[in-house]
Amino acid sequence: MANRDRVRFNVGGQLFETTSTTLANAGRESMLGALLDESWNPGQPEYFIDRNPACFSTLLDLLRTGALHIPSNVPEKLLYREALYYGLLDHVRGAKWGPFDGNTLRLADSVPGRAPGDGTAIRGAPDGGCCVAHGSVVHVYNWMLEERRPISLDYQQVNDVGYIDANSIVITARERLGKGDGGMAVFSAATGELRHRFRVEHGRQPKSFTAGALSLAGLDDHRIFSSCKGRLNEYGIGVWDHNTGQQVDFFYEHPGCSLGDADKLQWLPSKNCLMVATLFPRTDNCFIGLLDLRDKSIPWCWSDAGITMNLEDKRVLHAIAMEDGHSICVINQYDDLGFIDLRAGNTNSAGTGVRWSSRSKLMNQKVPYEESCYPKLATHNGQLFSCMNDSISVFSGSEHVLTSTLRRSYGGSICDFSIGGDRLFALHNEENVFDVWDSPPCPII
Amino acid sequence: MNSQSQSQSQSQRRKNFKIEAFKHKVELDPKYAERTWKVLEHAIHEIYNNNASRLSFEELYRSAYNMVLHKYGDKLYSGLVATMTAHLNKIAKSVESAQGGLFLEKLNHKWADHNKALQMIRDILMYMDRSYVPTSHKTPVHELGLNLWRDHIIHSPNIQARLQDTLLDLVQRERTGDVINRGLMRNITKMLMDLGSSVYQDDFEKPFLDVSASFYSGESQQFIECCDCGSYLKKAERRLNEEMERVSHYLDAKTEVKITSAVEREMIANHMQRLVHMDNSGLVNMLIDDKYDDLSRMYSLFKRVPEGLSTIRDVMTSYLRERGRVLVTDTERLKDPVEFVQCLLNEKDKHDKIISTAFNNDKTFQNALNSSFEYFINLNNRSPEFISLYLDDKLRKGLKGASEEEVEVVLDKVMMLFRYLQEKDVFEKYYKQHLAKRLLSGKTVSDDAERSMIVKLKTECGYQFTSKLEGMFTDMKTSEDTMLDFYAKQSAELGDGPTLAVQILTTGSWPTQLTAACNLPPEILTVCEKFRTYYLGTHSGRRLTWQTNMGTADIKATFGKGHKHELNVSTYQMCVLMLFNSADGLTYREIEQATEIPALDLKRCLQSLACVKGKNVLRKEPMSKDISEEDVFYFNDKFTSKFVKVKIGTVVAQKESEPEKQETRQRVEEDRKPQIEAAIVRIMKSRRVLDHNSIVAEVTKQLQSRFLPNPVVIKKRIESLIEREFLERDKADRKLYRYLA
Repeated sequence: MANRDRVRFNVGGQLFETTSTTLANAGRESMLGALLDESWNPGQPEYFIDRNPACFSTLLDLLRTGALHIPSNVPEKLLYREALYYGLLDHVRGAKWGPFDGNTLRLADSVPGRAPGDGTAIRGAPDGGCCVAHGSVVHVYNWMLEERRPISLDYQQVNDVGYIDANSIVITARERLGKGDGGMAVFSAATGELRHRFRVEHGRQPKSFTAGALSLAGLDDHRIFSSCKGRLNEYGIGVWDHNTGQQVDFFYEHPGCSLGDADKLQWLPSKNCLMVATLFPRTDNCFIGLLDLRDKSIPWCWSDAGITMNLEDKRVLHAIAMEDGHSICVINQYDDLGFIDLRAGNTNSAGTGVRWSSRSKLMNQKVPYEESCYPKLATHNGQLFSCMNDSISVFSGSEHVLTSTLRRSYGGSICDFSIGGDRLFALHNEENVFDVWDSPPCPII
Repeated sequence: MNSQSQSQSQSQRRKNFKIEAFKHKVELDPKYAERTWKVLEHAIHEIYNNNASRLSFEELYRSAYNMVLHKYGDKLYSGLVATMTAHLNKIAKSVESAQGGLFLEKLNHKWADHNKALQMIRDILMYMDRSYVPTSHKTPVHELGLNLWRDHIIHSPNIQARLQDTLLDLVQRERTGDVINRGLMRNITKMLMDLGSSVYQDDFEKPFLDVSASFYSGESQQFIECCDCGSYLKKAERRLNEEMERVSHYLDAKTEVKITSAVEREMIANHMQRLVHMDNSGLVNMLIDDKYDDLSRMYSLFKRVPEGLSTIRDVMTSYLRERGRVLVTDTERLKDPVEFVQCLLNEKDKHDKIISTAFNNDKTFQNALNSSFEYFINLNNRSPEFISLYLDDKLRKGLKGASEEEVEVVLDKVMMLFRYLQEKDVFEKYYKQHLAKRLLSGKTVSDDAERSMIVKLKTECGYQFTSKLEGMFTDMKTSEDTMLDFYAKQSAELGDGPTLAVQILTTGSWPTQLTAACNLPPEILTVCEKFRTYYLGTHSGRRLTWQTNMGTADIKATFGKGHKHELNVSTYQMCVLMLFNSADGLTYREIEQATEIPALDLKRCLQSLACVKGKNVLRKEPMSKDISEEDVFYFNDKFTSKFVKVKIGTVVAQKESEPEKQETRQRVEEDRKPQIEAAIVRIMKSRRVLDHNSIVAEVTKQLQSRFLPNPVVIKKRIESLIEREFLERDKADRKLYRYLA
């Protein structure tokens, strides 16, 4: 029985012995699985494979232990290529990094950017790849951080990007006057080709529009939300179904809340509401509200109307709804975190609803230097992340205690960051470089 | 890379040296791709010819990999399509040439081969599937193999129609009783499903459903002409089960709903009316004969089609109403109220059982049953009286010896009938009368049963309904205590006189009639007066009136030859008999004068003393059944009885006589007036202004738990309230009433 189970390989002249049990970990949908399948006269004394033995050895160990150890003499790209040959690339990806935890992050890679100018946004893909929006181009990277064909929008300014799935990127873009372009569309991450353009219809007439911030509802909910500005005052939030590609709803702007200019949208499943934050409005006040799409109402909103605007004053620069749906976390120019309670009814009165933490005092009132970027916030599995200047702070627990800081020596301040596919991606402003942070796989013991 | 391509690249570098010094492009030998493809093509042939054992997987996989790596993916892919297509065309020819029954076998066999080959081809081309196919919008190898099979085999003009006919023919043969190769059928339908749900649907399912529908349309027509309802339903059920079994054996699970709905439509929905109304075997006959199996089958089959259950329900309801109407208006039955109610209860039991065993305890059926009973019970306005009489009978003797549970069962059943009554207040009237008689004559079977009934009425109708009934029980208890106390304190004075048992009844709680007391014999009168003194002495401010019409007495009498008997008689009878202590013969007039018993009661009383065989302690002249005012009565010296104790009943019509009935009716109507007025005032007090129709509706709603008020009566009450200035008519709109505080 033991002998029957034994399998011998000659890979590029080097002999390997293993068992069919180990090889079964590769799965039937792999080259090794097919090789040993009974339809292909198995049971030969020795199988010859004309490939690199060092890589085979590494991959065999992966099948044996489930862990990936790349020897220093094996270039990573070569290993990936060999893994693709054997159909084991997904195995390699699964073993490369572990489940995401903000407190165990290590710098996995720094990818030098190649686009000129400021980056607009970076987004992590569900499989660990990412994309970076610069001007009218979106650079797409797979999880091996190889660049794919970039998505070029022909001089339309990209406003926001997001992943529907690992192979579908949705992009919102600014309309150019008189061109009838702009709007929102889905592109293939693998080929960069346009797959579908989302339309906005008002009174059954398709209209061109500028799409701004973007949010996806979630796993089983196929809705996409985007802030929209049409040319004829069709301002508001558009809603589409990304399965059918059709528009399903439109929430027209109420007076006093600029939805078309929104900087951040976030779907809150627990409240069945969409959070809309307009933090850099052109005329009105800074506005955060929850929209109920079913009856087109705004059950909760907050605004900073009435605060005298000195540069010294604390201004809300980014907002994110906490995962429990009980509060909205905001951040100001001094890197203070603030919380607005969602359960406390309407807080229209002069921004008093924000409960600021006093972190800025501890940090000695460091006045932000001129070329810094606006801070951003993110949440993941109960942890809260904020970026300020060139570092990212990780806050854990229900009290949001600062537990980790991620900083790299060069690259300038961070203009955007994103968590996706168990990885954190941070885009630096000055060098157009982005960092990839991930948690190591499970330790040996 | 092999040495050949290296030398190729070197020659390239030399050639382009001057122009592109460092950008060397690796160009393969153009024949390399062709040669590699030949190897792979040969392998595909060998795989289809079952000669794969000589092939080296590693070599083939590497070859395909190299072709993709060196950008010959297009060539590889289009080569695959062409080679596979050629093979499939050959297979198509061979399948087409198969004779008769071998056609499906051949197709199945070739399909298995193709699948195996497809798997191996995919193994070789796995790398192409992974890297070339997704980026060049091509169909993955496995799916491609299925699509080509569909286009070149299944949709080949010589196969498509033949395949469909063969499959449908096999199904038809199975329906007519043949045994077919289900395994083979399963493989073929599975193949169609594997090729995509649209292939299965278009090439098999749709024609299958059409053929099935026409088959069952014909068959059901044939069945319905020659079968009775029960056996038709059995056949339909069997067909339905066969179709479901067929689906589970060799069709797609999703087909089940479609084929069963076709069978349901053809065999049930289209013949529903005819089935339920079928002569001698339809629904009504099933109900009459308690055919639980047939009914249950009809229920489960009809449930499957729209309007099915409502069809059964409607027929059942109209049958029940008609049957109930006949029952409650049958003059023969009205003679015996106990039998009448028992008959209703049996009817209810019978149909309850049908609903629980055959109709799955369906709520809608229970409701239909209830509404039918409610309908016909109230067709007879004596139903409240009869139900009370039934209870009276049960509580007097019917329940003697029954266990507590049995008593509960009977009472619950009666309560169910009670719920159907619209005139609950009439029932209350009668119940009160009957209860009073039971309590006063001490005839009730068990106090627990009586109280249990009261509790049930209380939960059903509320405290008000039973407060007086409960008062009656309290009176009984107090009377007992009072009598004990009376005899404890006065026994010395009373001596050997007759023993008195007084029941003190609170006025209002009891259905007392104001009748003048008769003249009591002096012996009794003495004790009565002593009691009166005692009672008024302990309870000041009260008034006692003797209800001699409701009492009983035990007297000892000695007849001829020294026969001694103890007679159990009513107070009236006692008064009459006592007269004969001093006289042997008396005329009717003399008796009437001496006792002052009301004429009607006296006649009844004399009738029971003189005309009942075995109880005739008096002798009447002339001998006749009826009492006339000229009759003369004598003490019957020859009276004998084998019992020492003789109970002489009063000849009372158990049912009310016609005038009594009128009287009760009238009292009920009188009692309703204040209730209706109270309801009107309650409503108007809260609504202030209301129109006539709304008032009638509200009043009816409020009172329906007790009775169904007549709108004419409500109108009269409103008018009376207006007269008494509780309400006024609106000046502008005469239909509106206003409440005057």
